Amino acid sequence: MNEAQTILDDSLSRFFADSIDREYLTRLEEISWDDALWSRCIEQGLGLVLVSETQGGMGGSWLEAFIVARACGRYAVPLPIPEQILAGWLTETAGLAPRAGVAGILPEVIATAAVAGDRATFTAERVPWGRHAEHFIGLTTDSELVVLDRANTKAITEANLAREPRDKISFEATPILARAKVALPASGVRWLGALLRSAQIAGAATACLELSVKYTSEREQFGRALSQFQAIQQQLAELAGAMASVDTIAMAACLALDERGLASAGRDAKFEIASAKCRASEAVEPITRISHQVHGAIGFTYEYDLQFLTRRLWSWRAEFGANGEWGEYLGQVALQEGGDNLWRYLTA
Amino acid sequence: MLNLNSLRFPRFEFPADLAPLRAEVREFLAQELEHYSPLVRSYSWDGIDPEFSRKLGARGWVGMTLPKEYGGHGRSALERYVVVEEVLAAGAPVGYHWVADRQSGPMIARLGTEAQKQTILPAIARGEACFAIGMSEPNSGSDLASVKTRAERVADGWLVNGTKIWTTLAHRANYMIALLRTDSSSDSKHRGLSQFLIDLRAVKGISPRPIRDLTGRGHFNEVSFVDALLPPDALLGNEGEGWKQVMAELAFERSGPERYLSCFVLLTQLIDVLKGRASATALAKIGAEVAWAASLRNMSLSVAGMLNAGLDPSLQASVVKDLGCHFEQRLPGLAQELVALEPALAGSGVDYQQVLGNLIQLAPSFSLRGGTLEILRGIIARGLGVR
Repeated sequence: MNEAQTILDDSLSRFFADSIDREYLTRLEEISWDDALWSRCIEQGLGLVLVSETQGGMGGSWLEAFIVARACGRYAVPLPIPEQILAGWLTETAGLAPRAGVAGILPEVIATAAVAGDRATFTAERVPWGRHAEHFIGLTTDSELVVLDRANTKAITEANLAREPRDKISFEATPILARAKVALPASGVRWLGALLRSAQIAGAATACLELSVKYTSEREQFGRALSQFQAIQQQLAELAGAMASVDTIAMAACLALDERGLASAGRDAKFEIASAKCRASEAVEPITRISHQVHGAIGFTYEYDLQFLTRRLWSWRAEFGANGEWGEYLGQVALQEGGDNLWRYLTA
Repeated sequence: MLNLNSLRFPRFEFPADLAPLRAEVREFLAQELEHYSPLVRSYSWDGIDPEFSRKLGARGWVGMTLPKEYGGHGRSALERYVVVEEVLAAGAPVGYHWVADRQSGPMIARLGTEAQKQTILPAIARGEACFAIGMSEPNSGSDLASVKTRAERVADGWLVNGTKIWTTLAHRANYMIALLRTDSSSDSKHRGLSQFLIDLRAVKGISPRPIRDLTGRGHFNEVSFVDALLPPDALLGNEGEGWKQVMAELAFERSGPERYLSCFVLLTQLIDVLKGRASATALAKIGAEVAWAASLRNMSLSVAGMLNAGLDPSLQASVVKDLGCHFEQRLPGLAQELVALEPALAGSGVDYQQVLGNLIQLAPSFSLRGGTLEILRGIIARGLGVR
């Protein structure tokens, strides 16, 4: 990270730490949306990290997007900022004008037939904060980006384990606001969503480690701090390693995406992105297990911060594909390359 | 207080001008290793082949960072890193020169006397010096500071009595760098230790007794010192500073790519065996390990980059070694889970079975040598601020 990126990281930490605490997260799980914090995030340009400066954005790279998404994970920010970043990037990549308002990202590929003509009719599952979206963005099987209106939609409200909205949205002859072919695989949203969730997992894992170190250093049993016990130290070391591995590969994937894109004829960023989400999702198990174990009963209560993180980790593990799915992709790549070429491929 | 920066692994990209070196090393290895079986390649840094080490030295790829005036090549740590990861990934037999190249050479260059440097460094750079490390003793394992083997100052040098153990290659090495007690009166057991550079062929009274490991091979030894008289100039570095020097030496052991690449041959063999008959579950499991390999390489590179920038990534290096160790120890079990072929001894079964048979047996040592996993995790815990 360069100096500007370090400053961005630090200022986000201060901003979110000042804005978000246990009471806030508890309240947001009930009301599911906070216009005030959303507006402040938008004012700071957090949703437009990847949009070029000429279009009014931050003009950042995917490394900046990583920094913002990781901070969102670390502070359990209950708003679709990573999704908004993705929407901004998709819109500009498709050559469409940036669109104000909350974007609903459609995780699954849309059948081209469902958006034939100027109206859309289909149902989208697990749309993050779908009920609050002012428009929706998705990719079709023909790699066409479509922007859909909010009119003529119905939301069936659902949520992930962290009570973040993951709604079922029915489009019923919904107006198509804009559409354009885009140089991305049809599954582009899944790849990029997986990358952003990996960064969020890295952030939440960081916070789990911070909480675990703090708690075990303060809590005394048998006349000394828990952190003085070798059994606890060994677990914290394992937790730190799991966190660091996710953080490193997620950042590497963002850099690979900046350098090689997602649809190049040669080696693009797919391998790194798949590695990031596979590693991140797999790491959720030790990270959540150890964090809860060293916290004892208090960590299992709603009154303590840890659960806001671990319930997100358990949800994000599966969103945009779990480790099994991404591992299968990587396994196919490895077998296709063959053993003799694996090292060459890893170092390319 | 937890310092997150000490757990971050900034991305490091090799300078583009190192690409030709990598290509040269690959070409060299493709030729030299053509007739080495996968089993022999799976010995990795336990593979002993003085002829190979000499050839690598002739190419200028041993002792690369040693100063030119002592026969070294004055090249950067990054250039060495490229060579090391290539030879390890290929499973080249680097055992003969491994310790000398990785830690003994740099230590002598840093701490040695002019005479020690002139005598030994050129041989290291030629790939002709084999070093043993005399640290552990029968009663001093993880508690290394409790070593008892004594070096007593006498009129014509140092008189050494005691026993070292688990000393890899002591029966073949030219030299040993040993951690010995020079002062028993000191209150602290950490003080009163010194390091010695011992010419194993010149000094009498040193007897290595090979200990067969569980594979049946004998690469490590119990080494007894009975009134072994070292010359006065055998002291390496400063008297009484052995502990500090050893800690710096062990940091070399933790910072390289070896801790995730010594099982690489098994991963490549497993991939080839699975080709055409892998279930979705098998693909997912192999893929997860490939993701680990990608993560570990990024982390290891980052450590190399931080070292190159003059930073102290000691916590990050320990984390990589810990994770790399688990990665390597998982692979043999995973292989057995996914493929029905039984592990085999040399001379029976197909290549994959022999490689698996070898690495199943070697794997327990990965989390023991160069410091146990428990000690390593203690170091990480200290870095987290909880020790």
